[in-house]
Amino acid sequence: MVQFTLPKNSKVKKGKAWNPPAQGAPAARYREYRVYRFDPDAGDNPRLDTYWVDMEDCGPMVLDALIWIKNNVDPTLTFRRSCREGVCGSCSMNIAGTNTLACTMHADDARGAIAVYPLPHLPVIKDLVPDMTGFYAQLRAIEPWLKTDSPTPQKEWRQSKEDRDKLDGLYECILCACCSTACPSYWWNGDRYLGPAILLQADRWIEDSRDERTGERLDELDDPFRLYRCHTILNCTKACPKGLNPAAAIASLKRKLVERGE
Amino acid sequence: MGKAKLGAERPLSPHLQIYRPMLTMMMSIAHRLSGVANAVGFILLAWWLVAIASGPEAYAQVSRFFAGIPGRVLLFLFSWALIHHMLGGIRHLIWDTGSGLDKTSIEVFAWLTIIGSTVLTVLVWVAGYTIMGGR
Repeated sequence: MVQFTLPKNSKVKKGKAWNPPAQGAPAARYREYRVYRFDPDAGDNPRLDTYWVDMEDCGPMVLDALIWIKNNVDPTLTFRRSCREGVCGSCSMNIAGTNTLACTMHADDARGAIAVYPLPHLPVIKDLVPDMTGFYAQLRAIEPWLKTDSPTPQKEWRQSKEDRDKLDGLYECILCACCSTACPSYWWNGDRYLGPAILLQADRWIEDSRDERTGERLDELDDPFRLYRCHTILNCTKACPKGLNPAAAIASLKRKLVERGE
Repeated sequence: MGKAKLGAERPLSPHLQIYRPMLTMMMSIAHRLSGVANAVGFILLAWWLVAIASGPEAYAQVSRFFAGIPGRVLLFLFSWALIHHMLGGIRHLIWDTGSGLDKTSIEVFAWLTIIGSTVLTVLVWVAGYTIMGGR
């Protein structure tokens, strides 16, 4: 349901300033970061802590800054990260007001103090680590694997070059959830609306010439909530750190359902 | 350990409070708001129609209201909402065909809707005043 404000236990309190630079220190050298903190063991509300990152000692990306803070200022700062090059999708978070990957976001692309929050409208486990259980359950629900009835060939399932090309722009998704958690429709109806990331995955299997359960897959989506909560707000397409277009994938699904019905 | 919060007790991460407003999402909310404004505008229209049916006195009263400044401002806003919602609807029709969803087009469509609706509304009013002889 639509709830514009945060529940009482989720309101973000003023936090602590960890390492303000000394008086007279060159201001350009220190980059200010305001980071969402939540300690599940403390029983307090989340808070926004401020850190100053020494840019002469730190790499250019936002993830570099978070790692620098963890190494030099506050070892309790908790976040997910792995590949540090935009392929694993672990370090997705809300940076400077938009969802993206901390590892591919250049700090210079944001102006002023950089605000870092977990992905929006999810239960928070700790600091920048949200609970993505619902998101993964929805992925499982669309059965994202090749489903066939024909006998399995001796070697691989063949596909023409043209049919393979249809998967471009779909197969590259790394399931970072930047798009889904940028979508207001997913915020208000995330329990029933599948959201852009999962719908793009659904389209990826429906587009695949080797898959033989296209009709069944479309049946599963033909639902006022699962698919049709998309109102083309387009936050998904604006957010995707891989440059994919979930809104276009959803439009393509809606179109396939209309064409099938004729 | 032991005191760790589970499930429902976990805080909800901020959403509307922190997401940077962008033109495309503002156009989505403007489409909804203009839809609501249209509903209000149609109450004005219904009021006018009922007045016609009710006789000359009721009609004179309503006419006096719409001839005044508040009435004209309301009608101007109604016509703007109507035209904005119509252009927004056309934009959504194009998107439903699967076209115009690339990152450049969505920005162009947003600006076309804003500029188009404003220009068309002003034109409608200029045309209206010209036909009415500037009253």
